[in-house]
Amino acid sequence: MSGIALRNIRKAYPGGPTVLHDVSMEFHPGEFIVIVGPSGCGKSTLLRLIAGLERADAGEIEIAGIRANDLAPQDRDIAMIFQNYALYPHMSVRENISFGLELRGMPKAQRNRRAEEVARMLQLEPYLERKPGALSGGQRQRVAMGRAMARNTSTFLMDEPLSNLDNALRVAMRTEIKDLHRQLGATIVYVTHDQTEALSLADRVAVMKDGHLQQFDRPEVIYDRPANRFVAGFLGVPPINFVAAEKLPGWQGMQGLTAGLRPDILSVHAQKPAGPALEARLVLSEMTGSDLLLHCDSAAGRLTAIAPRRAMSDPAAQLWISYDLDRALFFDNDSGERVDLARDLRSIRTAEE
Amino acid sequence: MKPENPVVAVLSLVVGLLFLSPVLYSIWMSFQTADAFYAGRVTFTLDNYERAVGQFNFARYLLNSLIVSGLVTVLGITVATLAAFAFARFTFRGGDLLFGATVATLMIPSHISLIPNYLTLAKVGLLDTYAGLILPAISNGFAAFFLRQYIRGIPKALDEAAYMDGASPLTVLWRIIVPLSKPAIASMALYIFITEWNNYIWPLVAVGRQDLYTLQIGLARLYKINPGEGLVDWPLVMAASTITILPVLAGFLFVERHLVRGITMGAGK
Ligand SMILES: Nc1ncnc2c1ncn2[C@@H]1O[C@H](COP(=O)(O)OP(=O)(O)O)[C@@H](O)[C@H]1O
Ligand SMILES: [Mg+2]
Repeated sequence: MSGIALRNIRKAYPGGPTVLHDVSMEFHPGEFIVIVGPSGCGKSTLLRLIAGLERADAGEIEIAGIRANDLAPQDRDIAMIFQNYALYPHMSVRENISFGLELRGMPKAQRNRRAEEVARMLQLEPYLERKPGALSGGQRQRVAMGRAMARNTSTFLMDEPLSNLDNALRVAMRTEIKDLHRQLGATIVYVTHDQTEALSLADRVAVMKDGHLQQFDRPEVIYDRPANRFVAGFLGVPPINFVAAEKLPGWQGMQGLTAGLRPDILSVHAQKPAGPALEARLVLSEMTGSDLLLHCDSAAGRLTAIAPRRAMSDPAAQLWISYDLDRALFFDNDSGERVDLARDLRSIRTAEE
Repeated sequence: MKPENPVVAVLSLVVGLLFLSPVLYSIWMSFQTADAFYAGRVTFTLDNYERAVGQFNFARYLLNSLIVSGLVTVLGITVATLAAFAFARFTFRGGDLLFGATVATLMIPSHISLIPNYLTLAKVGLLDTYAGLILPAISNGFAAFFLRQYIRGIPKALDEAAYMDGASPLTVLWRIIVPLSKPAIASMALYIFITEWNNYIWPLVAVGRQDLYTLQIGLARLYKINPGEGLVDWPLVMAASTITILPVLAGFLFVERHLVRGITMGAGK
């Protein structure tokens, strides 16, 4: 187990724009870190810098307390799972898993035992002698995990390991990876563009955009108190509703702020409720299983609310939407930063109603 | 591969025979005596082979050709593969320039380098040696270029996975790139071998000693052996020719397996 520290990392590819701007983060030993952000924001680049496959233009990478900028990948005690798995197509599953052990001089009998042990953990035993070309996507994904696990490294880097799998398999593997993390106790740095994976897997989530670190914190904090409008919009399904704050009843005086209302803090009523509420017209109701997603047009703009299907068997075309003021988020229109409106200010506002 | 259409099968057979006919004719001719051949009679004799090998030293020429072409192939493919790996995978100062120069050599006719090469080898005293026959041929710009293009088609993530697994660059080359480039390497090896096997000008210039003659030189000499006034001993020449083409055929049959099998092997994600 070893911690990793990134200090003021900057990276540009030759002849290209800067891909990482001054990124600093610290990962504790044994943590499950998820780096999340839209495609092209520099997640893979960051992972490759930690792996030693790219060099930073500036800044410092520290692994287990020592400066690692100039360490070759094979000297970093790190294993990596590549997005497309990068299995050696000319080697059997057994050889794929034990290649790293062979290169490190482990005798054949011992390597074989280790490969079988890993294969057993990942339910790959029946496929040990097959080539990757004769495996399904899910099996290849597990071989990639097995190859990384075989060497017992202290750190695993995973670059969108589940993005090539179909949905059911992805959900199943998510649980398996979490379970594996518990068993191995290793540090995992996991890159994804999928916010569900980020929130469900991570001990801490790093949200990135355009090469800038936006926020790095526990998933609950990222969700409940996003640092800025981008983070609020990127995480959460269905996505948060942004409306101009002054268009909300009771907030008419709030110039220059955007309110962020997650669908689950909106309540839908057939009659005008007590307290602040918006009149809305139902545009579309979407069934998601136990819930209904209600897309409505209101004076404040388009709002999406979520309601249990039992309570809303047949939503009317004209509705009232109220909101839980304590859980509304506010963002500065110019900077996009979240503004922490003091609670008392809120209570004054509500009292004025 | 079974052609489903009988017309295609018959046509293929005809075309194949058309290509083969000169070879078959020369092989047939090599079993005739010169007298019978010029008199238009049909005979069967192994005499021409006996004379080619015994009297005209073709066993030695065959050995020389095998040594020279074999070593040129092994050394040439090694140099080309190493260069291709470097060009395909590493950025280094002057790399683009070097690669450009490599490609540029493809545009230079080999006859232009004949005299400089001769003078260089004369200066270092390598004329009339095996080394003199072999060394100028082991840098092959085309093979380096071809293999570089092929290697660029292999996902770089495979290299990176191997580096993470603890491999050195040479291990990556030997354990990942070479096995995955087998079809291309086999094709280039065959190409280098055939080119060198058929090389005539350079051995002619670089070697004067008869015991270093390659088959091509020996073959050219045979034209001077006259069975009668102004006649060439064609059956003797054809026996020697047959000795000359057999190793190439054998080489092709040996490599063909790799050429075909390799094409179906994808990198598979
Ligand atoms: N080898 C490379 N050379 C030049 N630009 C690259 C290279 N790899 C990635 N980039 C660029 O760097 C940016 C970040 O890429 P990447 O780290 O792969 O993003 P992500 O993994 O978040 O999708 C992208 O704009 C991409 O085009
Ligand atoms: Mg990526």
